[in-house]
Amino acid sequence: MSLEKVIFGFFVLLAATLNFGFFYGDLSDPALHNEYELFAAVVVNLITTVLKFGDRTQIGAVHLATSLVADLQLIAATLTWVYATQISSAGMTPENTASVVSLSGGALLANLVSVALLVIETTTFRRR
Amino acid sequence: MEKPGPYRRTRIARPAESSSTVFLVLRRMRAPLIVLILIFAISVFGLTLIPGQDDAGNPVHMGFFDAFYFMSYTATTIGYGEIPHPFTGAQRLWVTATIYLTVIGWAYAIGSLLAALRDRAFREALSLRRFTGTVKRMREPFLLVVGYGQTGQLLGHALDAMGRRMVVVDNLPEHVDTLDIDQYNSDVPGLVADAANPHTLGVAGLEHPACEGVVALTDNDETNLVVAMTAALIRPGLPVIARTVSPAIEHRMRAFGSPTVVNPFDRYGDHLRLALHAPSAYLLMSWLVRGEGAEMPSPSRPPATGRWVVCGFGRFGRKLTADLRAADLGVTVIDLRPGAEPGLTMIEGDASVPSVLAEADLATAAGFVAGTDNDATNLSLVAAARKENPALFIGARQNRPVSAPLFAALEIDWLLVPSEMAAREIYARLSTPLLWRFLQEMSELGERWAADTLDRMQAYCGMRLGPVWKVNLTEREAPGLRPWLSAGIALGDLLRSPSDRAERLDAVPLMLLRDGRTVLRPDDDVTVTTGDQLLLVGRGYTPRALLDTMTNRVVAEYVLTGRHVPAGWVAQRVTGRIPTSSD
Repeated sequence: MSLEKVIFGFFVLLAATLNFGFFYGDLSDPALHNEYELFAAVVVNLITTVLKFGDRTQIGAVHLATSLVADLQLIAATLTWVYATQISSAGMTPENTASVVSLSGGALLANLVSVALLVIETTTFRRR
Repeated sequence: MEKPGPYRRTRIARPAESSSTVFLVLRRMRAPLIVLILIFAISVFGLTLIPGQDDAGNPVHMGFFDAFYFMSYTATTIGYGEIPHPFTGAQRLWVTATIYLTVIGWAYAIGSLLAALRDRAFREALSLRRFTGTVKRMREPFLLVVGYGQTGQLLGHALDAMGRRMVVVDNLPEHVDTLDIDQYNSDVPGLVADAANPHTLGVAGLEHPACEGVVALTDNDETNLVVAMTAALIRPGLPVIARTVSPAIEHRMRAFGSPTVVNPFDRYGDHLRLALHAPSAYLLMSWLVRGEGAEMPSPSRPPATGRWVVCGFGRFGRKLTADLRAADLGVTVIDLRPGAEPGLTMIEGDASVPSVLAEADLATAAGFVAGTDNDATNLSLVAAARKENPALFIGARQNRPVSAPLFAALEIDWLLVPSEMAAREIYARLSTPLLWRFLQEMSELGERWAADTLDRMQAYCGMRLGPVWKVNLTEREAPGLRPWLSAGIALGDLLRSPSDRAERLDAVPLMLLRDGRTVLRPDDDVTVTTGDQLLLVGRGYTPRALLDTMTNRVVAEYVLTGRHVPAGWVAQRVTGRIPTSSD
């Protein structure tokens, strides 16, 4: 068992679960989507990305790519949230909430691909 | 020797280097970046949890955006103040802690980044990448020079002056650094790496289509052998020139393909023999290999015939002794462990001990060679021998370049500087391969022939060596001569001056090569025909004049027949003087 793999798996999975927790629920209801959870998802996703730096294998490169996609989506979601709460006068309207949550939904998809890659990597490792 | 093979052409598989440097930096930056993200996350999170107060005294919580904004300018030490409301005590306590945390985080991250950029592995990866790119982009033919010590640098400067491109590999950084320090006409990429590793040669362009030859000049015979082997296996047929001082290594090198092996120790004795039998031939040879612009060497003191005393019976001493004995000279050898050899007078002992040297009876000897591998010993031996018998012909071996002034001060009659000798020979082989062939065959023609050639060269070229160049008499390279070439042109006619055909160009044809057979110093009545190659020596402008004759049919007409023909088509029709070559 390699500690590095455990930490890596932990963060990949945590990124996916946190994102799922934020995403789950009625798309347009701001009460169902906690901003603290979004914050945690962004932080964990950034850490996951950095953890993938410097892995020169093929699967490592794909991992990095999916992570970057998730980061982009989450940062877009965050910016939308900042716009809704700070700049627009309307606040978290159902429309704004929906776009924040759907952006995080895209990130969730990337997170799921990451998890799938992790599973594939683990199983091929076993076979060798 | 028959060429073995053909070996199947193989490729050197290389580990992928693309973007390796970026990955190296990213890998180093993992820990600091994660620390920075965590510090930011904790600080921002804490700020959103701790309640503040608005102007009216109502408790408010800071939003994520405000917290992030505040942390961003605080962490980067910009500091705009407390927003959106002045902080409470609890908030200030937390912010104090986060300021210190973030400063530590930034310092750690920036420090790590700078350390990664200054890291040896990173800089090596970067320079390897730059080197690979430069080699890959080379379009002109280049030579791969392995080993850039004294010999390599001498050769490198000569080749660079000639306009040849090179790629240099050496395992010592200070050798490769001379590429940046010294003056070169063209950019010479250099790599610090172990040449015995085939990957190094692959990176240095062994497989590059423009690589026209490999020159192995390292101090290590084993490495030179590996380089010659690698080149023969990876690029069969590619010309390889390798230096060695060991006959065993030379034999092993020849097992792979047909590399040109240069052994300076061997050459010293050969030249000594040539100078014994044919001083003019030796003079001619040493002048021609010096390259364009060299003064004619003054005829040095000819080696003396009689008994020779050789100190040091290593690889050099053995080779020299064999050469001297082949020239029917008696030889006395002094060495610490000479070993028995029939027909030789051996004296066992340290030559620097006076009693040992006295045993050699220098008073009756004709020549003395200090040939040990230690410069200090050689210098003192020469001084001691001179004292015994000032008339001795003195030979010496200079091992280290720094000893050059000392040897020069002693005025050695026949000095061996292995690095210079190897560099000169390789330069002669590379610059004009025909010249090399000429030098090989010339030595058999004897003293009088050589003296005669020297006289002619002086008459036409003066005391400074002009260009030595090769001319291909083919339809492609000599279109002006087309109507006459197939029937044959007398060499004397071809070498008439384009400005006045009664005059002769200042050129001496040194050799004519036809179907692999050579005619040395062909006379003016020899006819040349299609496919012949000529090696000539002349003055600075002669190559251009001859090129004019060869390529311009109007000039050729005048030079060969004396007819003046107009150059333009209309003028030719109007005057009726139509060149023979028009079809």
